[in-house]
Amino acid sequence: MSLSVELENLAGQFEKELAATSSPEDLEALRVAFMGRKGRLAALMALLGQAPPEERPALGRRANEIKKLFQDLLEGRAAVLRRPAAAAEFFDPSLPGRLPAQGSLHPITLVMNEICALLERIGFEVVSGPEAETDFHNFTALNFPEEHPARAMQDTLYLGGDTLLRTHTSPVQVRAMLEYKKPPLAVIVPGKVYRRDSDLTHTPMFHQIEGLLVDKSVSLADLRGTLAYFARSLFGREVRTRFRPSFFPFTEVSAEVDISCILCGGKGHRGGENCRVCKGAGWLEILGSGMVHPNVFKAVGFDSECTGFAFGLGVERVAMLKYGIGDLRLLFENDVRFLAQFA
Amino acid sequence: MLLSLKWLREFVPYAGTAEELGATLTMLGLEMEELRRPYEDLADLLVGLVLERGPHPAADHLSVCKVDTGTEVLEIVCGAPNVGQGQYVAVAPAGARLPGGIRIRKARLRGVRSNGMICSERELGLSDEHGGIMVLRELAAGVLRPGQALTEALNLDTEVLDISVTPNRPDCLSVLGLAREVALACKLPLTLPALDREGVDCGGGGLEKLDLEVESGEISPFYQLRLIDRLKVRPAPAWMRWRLNACGQRPISNLVDVTNYVMLELGQPLHSFDFSRVRGGRVRVAPALEGEKLLTLDGQERILTSRDITIRDAEGPIGLAGVMGGAGTAIDESSTAVMLEGAVFDAASIYRTSRRLGLPSEAASRFAHGVDQAMTPFALERAALLIARLGEGRLGASPLTSALRPARAPALRLRKARAELLLGVPLEDSFCEETLRALGFAVQESGREEGSPVWTAVPPSYRPDIGGEADLVEELARVYGLDRIPEVIPRISRSLERAGLPESGHAFLTRVKNWASGAGLNETINYSFTGQEDLDFLGVKKDGRVGIVNPLSAEQGVLRPVLAPGLLQALRNNLAQGASGLRFFEAAAVFSADSGSPTGTGVREDYRLGFLLYGDRHAGAWPRKPEDAAYLDLKGLVEAFVSWLDLPEPEFVLSREAPRWLDQAAAVLVRGEYAGSLGRVKPELADAFHARKEVWLAELPLDKLRDLSAGSGLKFKALPLYPPVRRDITVIAPLGLESAALLKAIREARLEHLQEVFLLDLYAPEGSGERHLTYRLVFRHPERTLLDEEVDGIRNKAAKYLLENLKVRI
Repeated sequence: MSLSVELENLAGQFEKELAATSSPEDLEALRVAFMGRKGRLAALMALLGQAPPEERPALGRRANEIKKLFQDLLEGRAAVLRRPAAAAEFFDPSLPGRLPAQGSLHPITLVMNEICALLERIGFEVVSGPEAETDFHNFTALNFPEEHPARAMQDTLYLGGDTLLRTHTSPVQVRAMLEYKKPPLAVIVPGKVYRRDSDLTHTPMFHQIEGLLVDKSVSLADLRGTLAYFARSLFGREVRTRFRPSFFPFTEVSAEVDISCILCGGKGHRGGENCRVCKGAGWLEILGSGMVHPNVFKAVGFDSECTGFAFGLGVERVAMLKYGIGDLRLLFENDVRFLAQFA
Repeated sequence: MLLSLKWLREFVPYAGTAEELGATLTMLGLEMEELRRPYEDLADLLVGLVLERGPHPAADHLSVCKVDTGTEVLEIVCGAPNVGQGQYVAVAPAGARLPGGIRIRKARLRGVRSNGMICSERELGLSDEHGGIMVLRELAAGVLRPGQALTEALNLDTEVLDISVTPNRPDCLSVLGLAREVALACKLPLTLPALDREGVDCGGGGLEKLDLEVESGEISPFYQLRLIDRLKVRPAPAWMRWRLNACGQRPISNLVDVTNYVMLELGQPLHSFDFSRVRGGRVRVAPALEGEKLLTLDGQERILTSRDITIRDAEGPIGLAGVMGGAGTAIDESSTAVMLEGAVFDAASIYRTSRRLGLPSEAASRFAHGVDQAMTPFALERAALLIARLGEGRLGASPLTSALRPARAPALRLRKARAELLLGVPLEDSFCEETLRALGFAVQESGREEGSPVWTAVPPSYRPDIGGEADLVEELARVYGLDRIPEVIPRISRSLERAGLPESGHAFLTRVKNWASGAGLNETINYSFTGQEDLDFLGVKKDGRVGIVNPLSAEQGVLRPVLAPGLLQALRNNLAQGASGLRFFEAAAVFSADSGSPTGTGVREDYRLGFLLYGDRHAGAWPRKPEDAAYLDLKGLVEAFVSWLDLPEPEFVLSREAPRWLDQAAAVLVRGEYAGSLGRVKPELADAFHARKEVWLAELPLDKLRDLSAGSGLKFKALPLYPPVRRDITVIAPLGLESAALLKAIREARLEHLQEVFLLDLYAPEGSGERHLTYRLVFRHPERTLLDEEVDGIRNKAAKYLLENLKVRI
């Protein structure tokens, strides 16, 4: 057997025996047996002089490599054997973990994201517009007559001149139609809106999501389908919607939309008592909607024969229903004990 | 609008319950907000018949009565002088509750057992009358029976629906209007109140010599006056007072109450002038003179403008048309002649005047929404007759009228095909025609389009809201039932032109919020407004602020030009709740005045990302050490955010541009451009927000950063093939020499194969005036392994360069 083959065999045997060691003592014995002054590697090295002279440099290099390899393997194995055995120390799995910082999105953002996402899935595009608006975009183009009580439906905060804080997200309908120039368009507008109103159930700033679809033959049936899809996606498959005729200057047919109460399922009572969420009505008013008024199309230069629907909902109301938040003001106090629950 | 069910039944024979009526009206677009039961507290009261009145054995002023209450005969001790045998009275038997909550018990009064109480009007809350018990004979409608519920015997309006009427339906601000809707929905006949002249003296005169002049049909298309004289002012009869009470109107006197009654009933506001105080035999309806003054009924002096409509006599204004009468011609107890006005005024003018003067009366609101001109003469006649009857006066033979402009009734086109397209359901011709006719429209088929009928429809005078085809379609939909229309998810057609557009502002903002919450920050949403004083306190510059003209309060008087006030307010709220550590962010708009703003509003809106760090650096306690957030925590967030936007490493420089509310502050530079600021809130300011620890605040302009990052995109860099070689270098530098300057110098030394350099350790021996900064230099050659000796040489070159160029030791 040539020296070179014996060297390789030695390496194989070393690895095998190394794997069988189970203590530092075993390891030391192995080191002495293979790498000691009288060890097996030394024994082979002693035979080097007998090899043909032309092979000696290569064999010498290989022997050195193997020696280095043995050293590395011994160190590695030593590290493994040094690891304490599980039973050796007390391992307490119940100690508190090292927590990463846990951030959160505001529940209003969560609800807006969810609503935008589910409407984007059926083809709506998210657009936005300014919070400071002109009277034209906020009222006039939306068919609010000058000096008509319809304007008083929304108490406005004015910034001077013709500028005001938008009272609804609907002015973005106008901006979107002016930008698109012609149908079709399908947009949703999430954003902040402002009214001069502050009490237990109103804050002067709140959030709305507006939807607008305009095309050649959009019908009330499409509006009903879209909102039924919306309500089921958001609150569950069993939720029903109810349309009640109403009035908004910029839609005609106008409807308020109720959903069956998410707590009592529309029965109006629970456990023999009036439902505390719907106050016994069985229905929850959730948004306003309708078919776009021809005057709005006129104001933005669209053909008044096109058809479309629009809807708008209050995000706070949805967030309160969805998460069971009883007090509107919690949404704007930014109490970290509140915010951190939405992580 | 408060609608009494009993009152409604005088117009339509509606047989359902109040709840059912509420549901029906709600589904017609007239939402019932509340069902009130104004006389609920009289539910325990019964009609009793006094069978016997006997003296009380022990008290002269008391009597002992035997009262039949239907099921039993009660012995009741009564102190009223007017109680008498054969009277029908209001009885609260023992156990009954009176208004105000008092429960009647069996009692012994001076030794005689009393099993209930015979009540006065005041005890029942029906009036202030307390001179004696209430005797029902004169008050009750129809036949009285012992044991009957008192509310029924008195025909009280026990069920009142509070109906929310939308601004487009002024016709429904009346019992008549709502009755029309009920008649339509329930297919019932509608009956108007009869104009009953029986027993009324209609032979008066008095207006013949009056000179009536209405300036234009614009301001008052129809104006009519009636005179009723020889009147006696007294309280209105009980039934009218009780009804007005139930419908939210305070009874005043017979003359005033009638006008309110007819307004609620027919929707026509009416006004009574004391005719004896109308000067000069002249009435004019004309705009006020600019600056003219009028003392109104409520005792306030009003300064008028030429846009207010006034009623004037020969000497000046005597009333603000449709809004409020003048004090000079007001009806009082001494009035004997009433000039009753029934009119229609320009709706916009009334709206404007009532808003300007803050006088939102029931009358003004009806005028502003629009009244039914065709009904005005009828309403005036009905009120005049009632006044004459209740005041035992004399009605003038005929009214004085100015009818300058007839009510408009547009002829509107309705295409069935269009209605079907809009509603998404097929409609029967007969349904369309019958519905519109039932709603009072005159309908005629005027042609056909593509085989589908086209109608001409003329709306009734009481529907000023109907102005086009869409309105007619809505009427059809309302009656058809919106809930019967199918639900279909639309196929939304999208244009290829919208594909591949740059990321929208909203999408970017959403990504930023997701990043920030992922970075361990809690999102806050603060109001967009703050107070001028709050801004002054922080030292925010005064120019460019956008004030709110009509704020709810001074604390909400200005739009925020920076995020700081809101974040600090959130800090204050949380510290009040005992928070010890906060990591907040907000991504929202800030506002500044800018006449050239692209939105055309004169207001510029910039989106910003704000961070606020306070107190505990880490969530939870052990095993982390309790430490407070500091500058480097805030800076790390800014660096991570800038890096996440694929932008090059930002510079942080001391800057005069740093906000005035910060110290230990730096400006952020990205590619050399200003991109926000960060620092510590000055302790004296932080103190005002009750902060006990340092407050760290950063604000980054999102629009700017987004523009800077446009097109930078992610690009993969090939992984290195050869191993790096590292060398450390410790520089001893005087305080005042920034780490950035050392790094800059190392980079300037143009070291071969230097791949990166970063601070490894920092040590500042106390009192030495020096810092020891250890930098790690990482070298790498793309095509071979670097030799140790080679790298040692480069490191020494770096050390030499630093020693030569900066006042440092190595």
